[in-house]
Amino acid sequence: MEQVLSPEDERLVDGLRAGDESAFVALMRMYGAGMLRVALMYVSSRAVAEEVVQEAWVGVLRGIGRFEGRSSLKTWLYRIVANTAKTRGLREARSVPFSALGDETGDEPAADADRFLGSGERFPGHWSVPPQSWAPEGQLLGQETLEMVAREIDRLPPAQRAVITMRDIQGFTSEEVCNSLDLSETNQRVLLHRARAKVRSALEEYMR
Amino acid sequence: MRLDRELACQEVVELMTAYLDDVLDPLDRERFEEHLVFCDGCSNYLEQMRATIVLAGHVSLELPPALEERLLEAFRGWRGS
Amino acid sequence: MAGIVIAYKFLSSGRIAPFTGFGWPVGEWVDAGGIDPCRHGVHACSVHHLPIWLDTELWEIELGGEVLEQARKLVAPRGRLVRRVESWNAVLLREFGLACLRRTRERVGSLPILSGYVADVGRHVVGGRVPLGAFAAARAAELRDGSRGYEQERGSQAAWLAERLGLERADVV
Repeated sequence: MEQVLSPEDERLVDGLRAGDESAFVALMRMYGAGMLRVALMYVSSRAVAEEVVQEAWVGVLRGIGRFEGRSSLKTWLYRIVANTAKTRGLREARSVPFSALGDETGDEPAADADRFLGSGERFPGHWSVPPQSWAPEGQLLGQETLEMVAREIDRLPPAQRAVITMRDIQGFTSEEVCNSLDLSETNQRVLLHRARAKVRSALEEYMR
Repeated sequence: MRLDRELACQEVVELMTAYLDDVLDPLDRERFEEHLVFCDGCSNYLEQMRATIVLAGHVSLELPPALEERLLEAFRGWRGS
Repeated sequence: MAGIVIAYKFLSSGRIAPFTGFGWPVGEWVDAGGIDPCRHGVHACSVHHLPIWLDTELWEIELGGEVLEQARKLVAPRGRLVRRVESWNAVLLREFGLACLRRTRERVGSLPILSGYVADVGRHVVGGRVPLGAFAAARAAELRDGSRGYEQERGSQAAWLAERLGLERADVV
């Protein structure tokens, strides 16, 4: 897997190695909040997650000299925080360790079953209450709507929240998410799908 | 009763993310699009998933200021060491 | 199939590909590998595929390279819009829907469980949801006669379109 770093990544890596504070601040602002969400997948409290993020960044600084650029910089950062959090989660000996993720990928439909016609109907499984079209995208993009979307994402279960944050807020590819979190393609997609479906539902409610 | 080839809306909805990631096999992709031709409800749902993605893309994330402060201290400590 | 194939393509208003949003030019070859018009090749219809993909505009399209026939469409590495089939319009779309309604009435109108589909087809056609009406007609046919019934109804729909649009040309030239 021979990958070349993007020019921007390369600049940030060089900056970090040189001890340039602006490079550190740029990276921290770009990815720090997302990394916190990844930590929250594996540990039980916000306070511990913050400690994990701090520990992970210390790991990043210690390891940056050896970073070879075989993955993108952000994949590498997120792998470090995920691994730090997993270790911490195990140490915490939580009663629900990684199966937290299993619960979130379980058999939960994206849309409420009562939105669809039953098996005795002429069009079983088709919409009984079909989604209506929304206002054009331009009109959706108001501050209030964005705040509402941010709130809904914040309220998602941890793994769904982390995956939608990486894919849709931070623009990771599915491959980058899978590599960062050691998720299978399928689990990654199920988590993303559940997350988007919930945010969509909330928006639908809000548009009414 | 179900048709041989038919995808019901309930199934189409579950395939939306795979469709948007372009990972459906050709037959499922064809059945999916075939469904969209006649189903306004699913076409709307798909548009809404796209709108949701666009909206999420405009959300900005911020670190809690106290954590940012701690991380900066850690950085300065590392640089000074 | 190789060589030049004449086929058909439904597009949304303004020559927009319905699923990808690609804007089709007229008379220029479009390469699937180039700007990625349909992501997996240029999609088009033989006459018998038409009822599945109804949309606002119908175009005649030339396909180049190795043309594959999938279950419900043709896929080719490149294509070129040749001319619009002007006789395809909203009036004909509605007539097409009414023809689906007539056939559904004949096929299942007197059957106690299935006769409800007649009203469904009618409601959708009158409500301007003709593609849904055509699907409901095919669904009713499948429920009566199995998948052969579905194919038969879709075949009748295709034959109706071919006749009314004057699409007599053999698909492969």
